Amino acid sequence: MADFDAIVVGSGMSGGMSAKELTERGLKVLVLERGPEIVPERDYTDQLAPWQSPNLDSVAQDEIAEHYPTQYGGVAYAIKESTKHFWVKDDEHPYVAAEGTSYDWLRGYHTAGRSIMWSRQTYRMGPQDFEANKQDGNGVDWPVRYADIVPWYEKVETFIGVAGTAAGLPQLPDSVFQPAFELTGAEKALKSKVETAFPGRNIIPARIAHITAATAEQRALGRSNCQARNRCEHGCTFKAYFSSLNATLPAAERTGNLTIIHNAIVQSVEYDAASNRVSGVRVVDAQSNEKRLYTARVIFLNASAIASAMILLQSKSATFPNGLANRSDQVGRNLMDHVSGAGANGLMSGFDNMKVFGRRPSGGIYIPRYANITEKNKPYLRGFGYQGGARPLGNANGQIPGIGQAFKEAHRTAGPWRVSVGAFGEQLPNPNNRVTLHAARRDRWGNPLALFDVRYSDNERIMLEEARKDAVAMLEVAGCSNINSSPVNLTRPGNRIHEMGSARMGRDPTTSVLNGWCQAHDIPNLFITDGSFMASSACQNPSLSYMAFSARAVDYAVGLLAEGKI
Amino acid sequence: MASRREVLQGLIVSIGGASALAACGGLPTVVSTSPTVAGRFYTRREMALLSRLSDLIIPRTETPGALDVNVPGYLDGLMSDWANDATRRAHRESLLQLERSLEQRAGGEFTLAEESVAERALTELDAAAFNGDDNLRGYRNLKGYITRAYFATEGGAVEELKWVSVPGRWDPAVEISS
Ligand SMILES: Cc1cc2nc3c(=O)[nH]c(=O)nc-3n(C[C@H](O)[C@H](O)[C@H](O)COP(=O)(O)OP(=O)(O)OC[C@H]3O[C@@H](n4cnc5c(N)ncnc54)[C@H](O)[C@@H]3O)c2cc1C
Ligand code: SF4
Repeated sequence: MADFDAIVVGSGMSGGMSAKELTERGLKVLVLERGPEIVPERDYTDQLAPWQSPNLDSVAQDEIAEHYPTQYGGVAYAIKESTKHFWVKDDEHPYVAAEGTSYDWLRGYHTAGRSIMWSRQTYRMGPQDFEANKQDGNGVDWPVRYADIVPWYEKVETFIGVAGTAAGLPQLPDSVFQPAFELTGAEKALKSKVETAFPGRNIIPARIAHITAATAEQRALGRSNCQARNRCEHGCTFKAYFSSLNATLPAAERTGNLTIIHNAIVQSVEYDAASNRVSGVRVVDAQSNEKRLYTARVIFLNASAIASAMILLQSKSATFPNGLANRSDQVGRNLMDHVSGAGANGLMSGFDNMKVFGRRPSGGIYIPRYANITEKNKPYLRGFGYQGGARPLGNANGQIPGIGQAFKEAHRTAGPWRVSVGAFGEQLPNPNNRVTLHAARRDRWGNPLALFDVRYSDNERIMLEEARKDAVAMLEVAGCSNINSSPVNLTRPGNRIHEMGSARMGRDPTTSVLNGWCQAHDIPNLFITDGSFMASSACQNPSLSYMAFSARAVDYAVGLLAEGKI
Repeated sequence: MASRREVLQGLIVSIGGASALAACGGLPTVVSTSPTVAGRFYTRREMALLSRLSDLIIPRTETPGALDVNVPGYLDGLMSDWANDATRRAHRESLLQLERSLEQRAGGEFTLAEESVAERALTELDAAAFNGDDNLRGYRNLKGYITRAYFATEGGAVEELKWVSVPGRWDPAVEISS
């Protein structure tokens, strides 16, 4: 008799959704989380006023060098004195990049994973994204199409809350929306000029996972409307932005079916060759080093794309000498992210007498993909979207001329408005881009270190060069002055923190790890619903898709359990 | 109702309050400073220069000035607790260099110069720094520190910047005159 009906490994963005859906269907669920517990009342710091954090809220330089060189190097804006507890210390969690490559593995180990620190940009994938691999022959064909996932997008969006506007764009289908954060005047001007000059391009308000018209279900979970404070990376005591800790985990908890154990590092998954089923997971306690085994009838891996692949690779048996569910040899391969490093900014006149009230969280505008959709024959495959916005230069941290009263009061006038846009491009799947287990080096719990070998292809390089030119052209037609656009400098792989694809889904068990239900081809009661399943990266921020696929996979798995098939 | 000036006086006193808070709330030790006394990081001479610069850049108006909210003390804490050795060295060097350039422009010791002379010297130097004089990058840095520190204090944030903890709504288009 198993200890639990289901085990979910990881309590982050996707694990929270798996846990909610499984517990709400009546299953007894164990969530294993490798990090410590986050207690909102104790650990959220969003209520601190600026003057309550020392030293401009900056982490001491020596401390960064010692503990956060990679994390800070990757996301300096998010790692503050008051938020550093949400990030791993690099010296405690090392990894290795292959000679001649570099990789940013940016993360936090604790309740709710990176759903605490994410930027909340929330977009559906479009029909073209599920067809791209088949059409251009990169990667394997997705075994699902857009229509298959629509009901699950709707379900997840209704639950999490997404602020946005309906735009009717086929390539970026509308979500179930709550009211958007309205565009600023400069953004509206940019929108109208760009849409006129480039009829296939659109500028829409960023779609973000913030509640702006709380539903009864959201209120029942203690969530309320966003207060426009932009303190989100500190946690949110209003529970206004979606995180597992603000929404899915409490929903799972209230069913009475959830057990969550912290500091439980899953090392491997137990496999029973006689029944061809997984039966449990082996765990080492992060604090005591004690080893334990937990058993369950079905297992969901939600440790994030890299960690889940590593757990599979660490789970070797006579049947699976190269790692669990890895007959296809695709586990750890096809590692993708999005790629940035191209954009432009410029000043827009005509709004100097305008300022804003409130602090809009996350981005302002989004320019959905047009490349190879409304504009064909690009010198690259697939495409990119831009995130951006326009805001008054306002308090420019003292970087404006003048002294005395005039300088001081210059901070009251908004000053010229700066428009900026930055591209997020699709990365093609490539089996040579991979994470493997380092042959010699281990962490303090005895787990092999991750070894990354990821390189961009010419497609990404050419795409971003074009994205830079397009960005400049759009700011030009919008009448911006002082347009700045640095030479393209591709972000390090991993830096967009959208790692995915390491256990891709596909139709053929010999070339893919999972089927269209996120179920391992090789083992019927093993599901992986973090970003591992992604057969291509599309260019949209992916977390919504991870959650929609998690909900869909749970529905399928519970059906199989009920039918006695797993 | 208290006049602006009385409010200001109150604010100065409340800086003492900030160090009291520090004792119980784990806040940084921003000890109150004086332009004539060395800090934890700054020498007496540096403190005098920094105090004068802070006051000229962000003077007291109807809202608190940089000295009212103890910007020199804030930066003394920043250099002691946040900066690494390389930053400290570079900061010291740029203060020294700045002192020399200001001395030249003021025709004598800057910290002792008459208000109008000091103001003119700094205005000149500021203009040069923002006109592409790369030798004055240290000054731009320092101005950044002073400004950021000012707005990171309660007086700067609330009184001058009108920072509110919970805006409660987003309005993308507020006319400045309103
Ligand atoms: C600063 C930042 C901004 C971002 N912005 C956006 C955005 O705007 N839009 C968007 O869509 N995405 C964004 N992302 C990405 C988003 O956070 C991830 O896509 C998402 O969190 C991935 O979900 P996940 O469940 O796979 O992993 P995570 O949320 O990282 O959760 C994985 C969990 O598993 C745990 N775990 C790992 N290994 C083990 C193990 N061996 N045993 C037990 N537990 C384990 C971890 O501690 C963690 O809690 C952003 C991320 C960051 C950091
Ligand atoms: S801006 Fe909104 S979501 Fe962010 S911390 Fe404030 S209330 Fe929460």
